[in-house]
Amino acid sequence: MAEMTSHDVVCPFCGIGCDDVTLTVDGAAVTAAKGTCGRAAELFARSGAPAPSARVAGKDVSFEEAVAEAAKRLDASKTIAYAGLGTDVDGVRAVLKLAAKTGGSVDHYASEGMFRNLASSQRKGWVATTFAEVRNRCDLFVVVGPDPSKAYHRVYERVLPATGRFVEGPRRVVFLGGAPTEDAKSQLEGLSVEIIATPEGGLVDALSQLSALVAGSVPPGASPDIKALAEALKAARYGVLAWSAASLDDDGDLVIERAVSVVDTLNVTTRAACLPLSGKDNLTGAYHATLWNIGFPLRVGFRDGVSDHDQTAYATANAVKGADLVVWTSAFRPELPPESSAAVIALSHPDTVFDTEPDVFIPVGQPGLDHQGLAFRADSVVGLPLRRHRDAGLKSVADVVTLISEARA
Amino acid sequence: MSAVRIINGRVLDPANGESGVVRDVVIDGGRIVDAKGFTGATETIDARGGVVMAGAIDIHSHIAGGKSNITRLLMVEEQRANREPAGDFCGCGGGLSTMTAHATGCRYAEMGYTAVFEPAMVAANARHMHAEMKDIPFLDTGGYVVLGNDDFLLDLISSGAGQQAVNDYVAWQLAATKAMAVKIVNPGGINAFKFNQRRLDLDEANPHYEITPRTILTTLIKAVTELGLAHPIHLHGCNLGVPGNEDTTLATIAATEGLPLHMTHVQFHSYGTEGDKKFSSGAAKIAEAVNANPNISIDVGQVMFGQTVTASADLMSQHRNRGIASPKRWIGMDMEMDAACGIVPFVYKEKSFVNALQWAIGLELFLLVEDPWRIFLTTDHPNGAPFTTYPHLIRLLMDKDFRDEHFARLPKAVRKHSIVGELKREYTLEEIAIVTRAAPAKILGFKDRGHLGAGAVGDVVIYRDDPDREAMFTKADYVLKNGQVIVKDGEIVSVAYGQTHQVAPDYDTGIETKLDRWFDEAMGFKAKTFKIADDEIRDGQGAVTHATTRSA
Repeated sequence: MAEMTSHDVVCPFCGIGCDDVTLTVDGAAVTAAKGTCGRAAELFARSGAPAPSARVAGKDVSFEEAVAEAAKRLDASKTIAYAGLGTDVDGVRAVLKLAAKTGGSVDHYASEGMFRNLASSQRKGWVATTFAEVRNRCDLFVVVGPDPSKAYHRVYERVLPATGRFVEGPRRVVFLGGAPTEDAKSQLEGLSVEIIATPEGGLVDALSQLSALVAGSVPPGASPDIKALAEALKAARYGVLAWSAASLDDDGDLVIERAVSVVDTLNVTTRAACLPLSGKDNLTGAYHATLWNIGFPLRVGFRDGVSDHDQTAYATANAVKGADLVVWTSAFRPELPPESSAAVIALSHPDTVFDTEPDVFIPVGQPGLDHQGLAFRADSVVGLPLRRHRDAGLKSVADVVTLISEARA
Repeated sequence: MSAVRIINGRVLDPANGESGVVRDVVIDGGRIVDAKGFTGATETIDARGGVVMAGAIDIHSHIAGGKSNITRLLMVEEQRANREPAGDFCGCGGGLSTMTAHATGCRYAEMGYTAVFEPAMVAANARHMHAEMKDIPFLDTGGYVVLGNDDFLLDLISSGAGQQAVNDYVAWQLAATKAMAVKIVNPGGINAFKFNQRRLDLDEANPHYEITPRTILTTLIKAVTELGLAHPIHLHGCNLGVPGNEDTTLATIAATEGLPLHMTHVQFHSYGTEGDKKFSSGAAKIAEAVNANPNISIDVGQVMFGQTVTASADLMSQHRNRGIASPKRWIGMDMEMDAACGIVPFVYKEKSFVNALQWAIGLELFLLVEDPWRIFLTTDHPNGAPFTTYPHLIRLLMDKDFRDEHFARLPKAVRKHSIVGELKREYTLEEIAIVTRAAPAKILGFKDRGHLGAGAVGDVVIYRDDPDREAMFTKADYVLKNGQVIVKDGEIVSVAYGQTHQVAPDYDTGIETKLDRWFDEAMGFKAKTFKIADDEIRDGQGAVTHATTRSA
């Protein structure tokens, strides 16, 4: 087969949604070049070796046998934890439909950060923004906590180019309680970058001070740097507070709550917004599809055909403790299922190297490489169209889950 | 599927001038055929004692997209209180003002609706909206793309690019987002709020682009007229909810200079400043203007009492209202150089002067606008109330005694400020059929929906002719979607999926070079990523593209 090159491919992995990737496909082999960050190039790359066979208890079986075994195990299980959920929107829909029939909990493996965000937004709300607004309007960008570019590699290149349509003069970027990586520094070249250090565990305090200062009071012990930042935010035309919720510490909920409050106060007199980042492996799409289909955000549970939502009980880490079966889906990368004493059905990336062989393994295609699909960008608003670029004989999670569901007694 | 013959029913089909004639309705191959000439085998449904109408069409109901999901997120307690167990035809849905996709389809279908249109599809969020609509069963759907605050358009207008360039851009957006019509929300106001302007009246200039809402409105009215769209601009005007906005509404009607305009949830735009509380009904003036201007159509956005969630692209207004959120939480978002959204939960209280007067203003509009072909039955779901209150609203319109009973419960001050008690009009069944079926089909340009003539789609409803009109319209006896029985005795009995309606007027592709550059430079991603492909709509099945007069 002739080598094929696809340009402007959409990258589905971290949620930034870069759409300038070039993929070269030769048979089943894939090389990613221009446009990809190192992480995405690695995730897109395929050796060209044929996909592994489906397996039951470590033994190669036909696809149909694996589907039949998975269906049998679902029927025999009392408590099922649907975990991973690294799949496109159609895959999420299929898992939700199956979970509604079998009962069990549903969670995405990377949802911990998102729930730190939801802890604030669900209870009190917030004013948020999207990438293009930041790109064109933001004159003061405050990174709250650790540098998000560790997870979202090209975030600054995408949202903070040197000039913005409505930004007069150089943009200011302030790292509050964190510092830019070397890669981030090069993406931010030409911008005014400052660092406000906070003592270990002091981010909540710093944001509390900031929140009080923008509201007009002067908290005792407020540092001069924070005072200056508060003044700068009040004077900014469009200040943005951004964070990667997954990289915040255990007090992330409080950090976010304070940051939300800063933005809320600023909007009384000027414009400001939050840019809460979370969205690895279509976490945002899984969150959205669960909301419109079930009415709750992720971490839903189905019992006797009725669904409910509980951020603690239905979190994967807790759900697997009482489960006798884990249904693991990870189509974007060879991520491993959680450790547990439960049996495991793994609908996984073909390159997955398991520590413990799952009871049923069915290799699945990657959305945006092996089949088309929909994923969501990390700012929650923009849907990313994923296209098919090769045929390695791998079915989508949606197709496999639907077949398993149909094979049930 | 065999043909279906509905016999003995009283047919109410205003589009074809039939007002209660008893005749057979036959559906074959998903379409209505000439009953007299049809000789094939049929299943028979006896509609004796019933009224036969076309499937109802809602032209304005917020049923899908990011803002619907935010309402669900904010109102988890409402979801919990309204759970629907999974069954043969249902799927763990729930909610009331925050219904899931599945529940939305079920509740609408049970009432006899077979098509519902999402009136505020923010272009940046269109892919989400379409994905969500795929999961709404029973209903034909479509979206109106929100324009008028998008920086590309404002830049085109302010830089003097000319009407033709605007027309090309509008056509490009309709095609790129697979939209059915163009909606404007607070023309220029959402954009101005991003530049920290807090109010924007019809003739105030945007602080950056220095153009006024009037200019944006008239430019886009011209664009959809010249592109030949059936549905006129669907306008959420300036100053939503602001006392005294009746003047803005009247000025907006005058600004059209006779060109077609649909003004939406006009109840929220009909406020005066008379009385002690500086809040009064402007309904009589607005209705008078609507009656006098045949180019104007409106939907009401009726308010009903109880908990709901207000969801709007109008972040300028929603930010202003955040203090009255109940429960006390709200979410706002600026979106992609395009528009915004603001979600504020709210309780309309019967004992509140303002809320009760809002209720009365809506009814005044319904009763004072004379031409039922130019007024549409909506609550602006979920903003005024959930759409499940439609049957109650229908009874308020059809039954004066019932209406008076409810009016009498309102605070005395409200009754003093409203003429609802003096209005004797009662809507007839035929008028209900017009405002819920025939007129919506007409204003969307549907030739084969909203009526029961040969060639129309087989979306047919049979209601029991109950003197209690609320009971009658709450649960239909039968609902057929494309000839398939989906509801019997008010219960879902089988599942069917609808289609997505869109328009795609042609345009000069020269605009694409400009848009490619705009996306690369301003948006930070590619125009071709933004554009939605045909195979993304309902998996490539079920899209209906309507001709526009220019491309036809």
